[in-house]
Amino acid sequence: MRIGSAKESYAADTALFDSTTQRVWIGLLAAALCAFPFVASEYWLYLACLVAINIASTTGLNLLTGYTGLVSLGQAAFMGLGAYTVAILQTRLGSPFVVNLLAGGGVAMLAGVLVGLPSLRVKGLYLAIATIAAGVIAHFMFSHFSSLTGGGSGLTVPPARFFGIELDDSFKLYWVIVPVTVLMLLGAVNLFRTRIGRAFIAIRDRDISAEVLGISLLHYKLLSFAISSFYAGVAGGLFAYFFRAVTPESFPLLMSIFFLAAVIVGGMGSILGSILGAVFMTLVPELLKLMVGWLPVSVFGGNAALILSPIRTIVFGSMIVLFLIFEPHGLAEVWRRIRRLFHLWPFRT
Amino acid sequence: MKSFRRTLWLATLAAAALTAAPAVFAQKAPAKAESKEDIVLGGSIPLTGVFAFAGIAIDQGIKDYLSILNDGGGIKGRKVRYVPEDTGYKVDQSMAAFKKITSQNKVSLYYADSTGFVKTVNPELDRNQNILMTGASFAKEISDAQKYPLQFMVGPNYSEMVGILLQYIAKTKPGAKIALVYSDTEFGRDPVDAARAEAKKLGLNLATEIVTPPGSVDVSAEVVKLRRADPDYTIFHGYVSAPIPEFINQAKALNLKTAFMGTFWSMDNTTVMRMGANVDGFLGVMPYRYYYDAEGKSPMLERIRKMRPEYQSTGYMQGFLSAMLLTEAARRTLEAGNELTGKNMKTALSSIRNFDTGGIMGVPLSIKGNSIPVGRIYRADFKQQKMVPASEWISLQQ
Repeated sequence: MRIGSAKESYAADTALFDSTTQRVWIGLLAAALCAFPFVASEYWLYLACLVAINIASTTGLNLLTGYTGLVSLGQAAFMGLGAYTVAILQTRLGSPFVVNLLAGGGVAMLAGVLVGLPSLRVKGLYLAIATIAAGVIAHFMFSHFSSLTGGGSGLTVPPARFFGIELDDSFKLYWVIVPVTVLMLLGAVNLFRTRIGRAFIAIRDRDISAEVLGISLLHYKLLSFAISSFYAGVAGGLFAYFFRAVTPESFPLLMSIFFLAAVIVGGMGSILGSILGAVFMTLVPELLKLMVGWLPVSVFGGNAALILSPIRTIVFGSMIVLFLIFEPHGLAEVWRRIRRLFHLWPFRT
Repeated sequence: MKSFRRTLWLATLAAAALTAAPAVFAQKAPAKAESKEDIVLGGSIPLTGVFAFAGIAIDQGIKDYLSILNDGGGIKGRKVRYVPEDTGYKVDQSMAAFKKITSQNKVSLYYADSTGFVKTVNPELDRNQNILMTGASFAKEISDAQKYPLQFMVGPNYSEMVGILLQYIAKTKPGAKIALVYSDTEFGRDPVDAARAEAKKLGLNLATEIVTPPGSVDVSAEVVKLRRADPDYTIFHGYVSAPIPEFINQAKALNLKTAFMGTFWSMDNTTVMRMGANVDGFLGVMPYRYYYDAEGKSPMLERIRKMRPEYQSTGYMQGFLSAMLLTEAARRTLEAGNELTGKNMKTALSSIRNFDTGGIMGVPLSIKGNSIPVGRIYRADFKQQKMVPASEWISLQQ
């Protein structure tokens, strides 16, 4: 616990940000996020939007896997459902993007409830395999319901419009994607201050005990799937507006594994972990590319990219393995340790 | 241990911060130290990932052509600078590479690595208006010049490739029975509708269509289906290698008399010969000539052979010709006294008639739309370990 932040009331005890320092930092972060589009290049804006979309989806998966203990490899499929819903609504009806995003989340949520049904009987790896089926079925639907989904070549999405402004570049999309992600993060954090969130944790820790405590496993496991898929669906909708092209191959199984890896690297059962995991998984390969770009090219006889690209991939893979070995609790724990270091400095933890 | 671990983490974070911070802000600055004269050819190139086998060759092909071009003085005295970035064959990374390269350089020409990326980047090209793009995708959709006004492909699209195969079949064995085997991917399904229509038009009997799941290896059930249809020709599309060798080996074991055929990405000499002795007689469509083709006058091929004494793959030829056509469009634009905009370069590209590629393509090249529907049938000669010509050059151009 932080020195000098005595909780003197219930409100203080349940506050999201419990100290002035924390609130100041959050304010600074918000200011930085607002200033970022005005100073960053198109490339960094693109990455910022991509990171935000990945954070939204990773948070959804963390609610399910990290908090409720239900392993899922169907996240990409739910994102696909959201993306296709948004693409279809935008191309056919041209409805407002907020409505489309909510509909995308809603469709993914219904699918999530269906896919979640096996979770009542199976757990762990068995459930992971069952959720892979979601991906297979979704892929089949995307590629074969051609009249709706455009078949193999998919759909091209017109840009979202906001008060007559076409959101057709990263700068404009940033002002939609980042706030939506922030809202979703706030929703997720708040969820764990309610009975629902605590029920999820109880199920993760020991489902039988949870049921004995009066938590309906049917209700809460399906609710967890529903919320998680809703997050994925909205993230998928943002994906559709961001990339403006949706094809059956946009959402492969590998994408689900990417989100699962982000949850594990970031920290299971931690919203901060979802953020850090998604940032790590998205940005580290790009940062490694930048580092490679700074190496003296002449050493490699003009073939630097060719020689260093596989090495970069190996380094990224090794970093994930090292994380799992040295910090199984993920980046969120590293973050906590660093915070503690500053709180207690010059004393050691 | 604990303190070591903490130091390690702090060091990692500090390194990450030091890497990220200057990069974020530095890149807002206009183009980096770049000679004013340079024309930039950017590239989202898959140097890692599942398509790396082709990406590495494409990269070499582009580099080699540009070094020939620049050694000869460039385009109207301006050098062409190649700025590639690895994508791992992932659309989001290809897009990141595009954003990075275009925000750091004034890019006029671009090489794209996949159909997914080409579709994704298309609105961006329309907005930018200064880039002419080609790439590794031969998807039919991209030959629609209305929808993709600033792009083109260096060869026939997948439907046209199958069309060339069907024309060859119709000429060699009129009314032949055909099987179409394709992977259940966007790549695999691309030419299916066109193949059905073209077979009907040419009076060929499309006896069966076999769809294989992506990445499938065991094809016993599919081979039984093939045996039942007993086609004269079996066309594979949507594969690079597997499961073609499995099909061929099992079909040989069952004494099937069908002739197997492939499309561009399954036609590299090394890939075909690696399939083993049963591959002898494998036919396929190629828009370019092979590295070792010696017939006729081919100064560019000879130059390549001089630069690189070892065999260069079909991906290399694709990259080489891509760079040649992109820069030719830029050259024609500058010679006409126009600015290097996407539209001007596309107009210049479309003015190409009877262009001599120096032997990379076997016939003089004319560009009328977004694709170049020309190809030749080659046959695998396992004894010689070479793909040898099995037909004249076939053009679907009107």
